Amino acid sequence: MDAREELVQRCATRRREKIGTLSDEGFAELILAARNDPASFVDTPAEEAFAALVAALATYEQSLANDDLLDDDEYTTARKRRLSTLADACDRAATIDPGCTDARLVSILTRDLGPDDLLTQLLELRSDADASIADGDAWNDVFSRPSLRLDAALVRTCLDGSRFKMTLDRAESLLDAAPSDTLGIRYTAALAYARLEDETGFDALDARFGHRGNTWSNLARAIMLYKLGRMSAARRALQGYCELCGGAAYALLRPEFVETYLPDRPAVAPSSFKEAVLAVHESEPIIADVPDFIAWAQTQPWLEQSASQFADKNDLDW
Amino acid sequence: MAFDPKREDYQRLALRFAHTLDAGDPVSATHSFASFGRRFAQDRDSLPQSDSDRAFHLVVQATDLLDYQLPFASEDSAAALLSRGRECLEEAVGLDPACHDAHRMLFSPSEMAFDARYQFLHEHEDEVGASCSAAAKSAIADAEPERAELAADIAMRPYLRWLASMAEVSLICGRNRETIRLCEKLFSLDPRDTADARFTLALAYAKLEDDQGFDALVARYSQLSPYRAPDDGWMLLSQLSLAHKRNDLDTARQVLGRLVKVYPDCEYVLVRQSELPDGAFARVLVTPYSEDEMVLAISEASVVFQEGYDMTGRGVLGAWLAREVTALNPEAAEDALRDMQDTRGDGF
Repeated sequence: MDAREELVQRCATRRREKIGTLSDEGFAELILAARNDPASFVDTPAEEAFAALVAALATYEQSLANDDLLDDDEYTTARKRRLSTLADACDRAATIDPGCTDARLVSILTRDLGPDDLLTQLLELRSDADASIADGDAWNDVFSRPSLRLDAALVRTCLDGSRFKMTLDRAESLLDAAPSDTLGIRYTAALAYARLEDETGFDALDARFGHRGNTWSNLARAIMLYKLGRMSAARRALQGYCELCGGAAYALLRPEFVETYLPDRPAVAPSSFKEAVLAVHESEPIIADVPDFIAWAQTQPWLEQSASQFADKNDLDW
Repeated sequence: MAFDPKREDYQRLALRFAHTLDAGDPVSATHSFASFGRRFAQDRDSLPQSDSDRAFHLVVQATDLLDYQLPFASEDSAAALLSRGRECLEEAVGLDPACHDAHRMLFSPSEMAFDARYQFLHEHEDEVGASCSAAAKSAIADAEPERAELAADIAMRPYLRWLASMAEVSLICGRNRETIRLCEKLFSLDPRDTADARFTLALAYAKLEDDQGFDALVARYSQLSPYRAPDDGWMLLSQLSLAHKRNDLDTARQVLGRLVKVYPDCEYVLVRQSELPDGAFARVLVTPYSEDEMVLAISEASVVFQEGYDMTGRGVLGAWLAREVTALNPEAAEDALRDMQDTRGDGF
């Protein structure tokens, strides 16, 4: 989530509403001014709360910098501390404006809840929060985005809790509301279709996005075809996953810890190693449900080779 | 109904014996048959039998060792039981290369990955089917009409067990649609579901969150199993899982209430959630609605419990179930947790 930029957009949009009519050029100027000094544009409790959230997320991001130097215990303590700092800051933001869905969402997500409890709390927030979103592609309206992010968190929580039909129902309506899918809901949906061995649904989703495969869908397809017993096709899909993305084989065979998404999937370069790390992390419950999938993948000599080459090149453990 | 290896052994020899008496005088045949039970129990070798009957008897012995003694054995005696069981099975395939049960049991889950086991069963599925169908055909041709049905039925059973094993293994492998295919195939061959494949099928529907498929199974349950209601542990745990997956926790709690009513004192087992290896011959014989049956159902349902991100290590549904049962019966839950800690060295 580019929180600062959203604050800029929100402030500029609010200011334009106040001004009344403003040309596109005028609005562009307004955006530039807001980008330069967003604080001076904050003039409602809603924007004030959002600005507090932006600051809290920035502080949190900065606190992640030195993790590599910590041992396990120090890391656990540091992590707990920064999550609780973030939660407190979000709660303060929500006091300024209880309608600040993002602050309330992040506060819930910092609590490390299991999928059942997390789902309950997110559903409570869902029924409490403003659900009105703009017509057309709702993502284009900056004020609709908090609601979309909450829905996206719900979709991922359903997947983590093994509620795959719920994942898909919510994903489908979210994709209808925001077809540009900036939040990458189709990735989560692809995993759910794979887990349910629903090839028709998987293909329809793929077609909806012009058959442009991505890291998630390639991995999901390999898992689905394996489950359906179509082993040559599964092998080709696995190859597709490895070829699309640098270090994908390594990411699959050496899964890494990934921090809770606060509030949504971190921005990474398409088809990068980091993207593969995220895709594997999100696929983990589905991979674990197919106990011999990784062992099968390892029997493909090119996969191990690709992973070890990537490790050598990047000075990673192998 | 389930596969009772000892009963099947008896039926095989009884059929064989009756067949040898057919040629003689009916009065002396009746007299001879009266002594069959005693001879079967005490002097088995005096009865007429083929190599395939002898091979099946070895399978029965192996089943006793592997499925009925091994789970209760100490670590020290387990290796001996395993190797004696294996010897019986190897001798069985030596005597009768078409002893499909022995071949299948030699590829036991304790010795190889599930997927390799699935691949083995899959590779030979058609061949075993053809072999058993041919055996059933010749059994019908040879037997007296009143015994033909039983003879054909017995000839087909190794294939039914083959398919039932495949269905169970494919469920564990995450190939749930394959499980459904196999169970449907079993029902078409065995409309009274001797293999209790409907238990496995219920779990596959839960895995695929297929409420309609599950409801259809409930609707035809009485055809498949005329003497049991659709309230066995597998059906109820699947139903509970389907409700939990819809986040319909009220219904999930109602089903749990039904479960503890139908299986009295099952709270300990529901919290303990032990995983047992599947029976090598077939699902082990237990009394309906007994604690043992719940142990089996829980163990097989681990595919639905142990899913999702869950920090307790039980899986999302497993953790939910343990929490709910603890609220219902804290004492039983405490016992289960203590025993889990004793055996695993860690607690949930």
